[in-house]
Amino acid sequence: MDQRMLSRRQLLKTMAATGAIAATDLAWWEEPLLRPRRAWGAAPVRFQFSVPEPKRNALVESLVQRFNQSQNDFEVKVEFVPQAQARQKLITSIAAGNPPDCAQVWDNWVGEFDGMGAVEDLTGKVKDWKHYSDVLPIAWQTVTVKGHIESFPWVVTNDALYYRTDRLKEYGLKAPKDDWTFDEFLTLTKGFTKTDKNQYGFGMRGQGTWAVLYATEFMYANGAQVLKDGKVVINSKEAAEALDWYLDLFRKYKVCPPSVPTDGWRGIVEGFGRGVTNTYIHNSGSLEEQKGFVGEKNFATVPLPLGPAKKRASFYFSETLTGFNKGKNREGAWRFMSWLMDDEPNLMYTKGLGLLPSRKSLFQRPEFQNDPSYQGFLKSFPFSMVSPYLAYAGWGGKIDSEGVPLFQQALVGKLGSKEFLDKFAEVLTKNMS
Amino acid sequence: MANGATVAAPLARTLISRRTRELVTGYLYLVPVVVVLGATVLFPILKAMRMSLYNHVLIKPQEYRYVGLANYVRLLHDEVFWQSLWNSCLWVFGSVSFQFLGGFAGALLLHRSFRGRILVRTITLLPWIIPGVVVALVWEFIYQPNYGLLNDILSRAGLMTERVAWLSSPALAMPAVIATNVWRGVPFFAIMLLAGLQAIPTELYEAARVDGASVVQRFTHVTLPLLRPIIVVATATRIVWTFNYADLIFVMTGGGPANATQITSTYTLLQAYSNLDFGYAATLSVVLLLIMLAFTVFYLRVTRGLESVS
Repeated sequence: MDQRMLSRRQLLKTMAATGAIAATDLAWWEEPLLRPRRAWGAAPVRFQFSVPEPKRNALVESLVQRFNQSQNDFEVKVEFVPQAQARQKLITSIAAGNPPDCAQVWDNWVGEFDGMGAVEDLTGKVKDWKHYSDVLPIAWQTVTVKGHIESFPWVVTNDALYYRTDRLKEYGLKAPKDDWTFDEFLTLTKGFTKTDKNQYGFGMRGQGTWAVLYATEFMYANGAQVLKDGKVVINSKEAAEALDWYLDLFRKYKVCPPSVPTDGWRGIVEGFGRGVTNTYIHNSGSLEEQKGFVGEKNFATVPLPLGPAKKRASFYFSETLTGFNKGKNREGAWRFMSWLMDDEPNLMYTKGLGLLPSRKSLFQRPEFQNDPSYQGFLKSFPFSMVSPYLAYAGWGGKIDSEGVPLFQQALVGKLGSKEFLDKFAEVLTKNMS
Repeated sequence: MANGATVAAPLARTLISRRTRELVTGYLYLVPVVVVLGATVLFPILKAMRMSLYNHVLIKPQEYRYVGLANYVRLLHDEVFWQSLWNSCLWVFGSVSFQFLGGFAGALLLHRSFRGRILVRTITLLPWIIPGVVVALVWEFIYQPNYGLLNDILSRAGLMTERVAWLSSPALAMPAVIATNVWRGVPFFAIMLLAGLQAIPTELYEAARVDGASVVQRFTHVTLPLLRPIIVVATATRIVWTFNYADLIFVMTGGGPANATQITSTYTLLQAYSNLDFGYAATLSVVLLLIMLAFTVFYLRVTRGLESVS
């Protein structure tokens, strides 16, 4: 799709329309609205949802209504909070002693909430739960803090590379194989870069926590690690070499758009959607969006390339359902959260958003296994790992507030790769709590 | 009838004298103002001062304790704070000086008689009326390097071969956000100075003209001295306001890239709402308050001087 054909307004309209169509097109979502409402008994369950996009809103509203119609003991009330403020709102509500009963939160926040003594320990209940053994063990790892299961891994995903298949043919480039290398990645991104057409080979992320995480995945491919024997070792020689190579994609080879230092999640997704970039790294959460933007047949996904150490990593994370111990209806929250993990609601939510279910029986279904656009993610599972930055709760906010500005300094050449990693290691070491 | 004669009895002495009563009544009238100002201004300041002496990180409630001046010591060693203070100076100086020059030019133009003057005056106010967040979003789109308006116009006009990353380059990000703030703030000065220009008696210009004064001389000897009090007040107000103004930068760059546009107010926001470090954020606020107080004292001295001149 030519970026000149898609204005910002059109893009927003498309996003809104996608949500509206998804919500109206499926009879499943409509059904609860047609039934009469019942009377409510116990205190309502407050559920905070922090990614208010049109499509997600429609899905979550429908799920909540469907749950409310399925029982008459209590009502679930959903509270939509902008993602940028969700963590701070939860923390302030916890500090004020008035948290919601349950919330949708990212796995890297759970440790912080646990540190505040605010999270409902689900270990006992979860182990007796009917689907306990059906959930992928690695998914449980993402929500386990100090040996306690604190949340449900609602959906999971890992990282892979999105690339344009139509332009691959147009420019006569070789399609990346599943076991491709750093060099082949560079060749591909160079071939994809056509500055005269305002097209770039790689949409690198420069803002937000995942800017650092994507770079770390490349460092792991060169044999680096974040932690070794309880010590921060992210400033190793291997890490510095790999980071140099990664940053050179922007600094030296110019295969990335000039907007990289301020490109966050929306920046990389929109860059690809508007046709400015021809590859980018992301989780499967933008799959459905890209099907609408560039067309299902015009892109594919592939695992991240193998590094010089013949290794690679894809960081695995989950979107969790977390209950709070100061909630007014904790039993209701448990019932609602476990219901969201049931077959039908879970499948509808995950597939609707392009994410993967954490339950093996759902994960193996043809909707995911046979969809070509999921292949890069599915093939990455053998080498996927829980993000090493989940090791300490204290790292959660610091990566964003201190790690990212340092990373940006390395990106724009104000700091060398080793210098950045030394400073970053210092930040991590100071906050090992 | 001597017995029936009325004798003037002295009035019973009141508990408090009339003068004291009037004084107390006067002070009682002030009570609502004192209560409101105390609750909305003084209390938050005192609360922030107290908070700055504590280790108050919301995500670590177990570590909440009195730490004395530790947060202030940390601030002295915080490189990002010093960078943000320097950036604030650039931000304030760059914004206010160009806003003033643009506003002055606009006021002089709008002071002249021409057809459609009222319409032009209304349009001039538009950037000032639009909410700051909306201005930030619009300009973010204008500056967008890949599909933004500015790069598109420049490349179509043949003035640019390589796309410029206005907000993503550390060297250009600050000038870019300053330019946006200038665009937004010019109407403020234009309207303030226009009001001042309209208050200058035309007789003074006529007298100067009769005395053979040139346009430049009339401007420097009549217009400028009579506008001086307004210039000082408007500029000082604007400096304080711009120093504390975070919306524009917060939306456009979030203080990045690499802290290139991090000013003290956005840094305080970052500490409070990203790190949830309320103790350190309060320390930053107290220091900024002191800086602004120092500036205000200086400003009051200047204006008092002007009052005596006028």
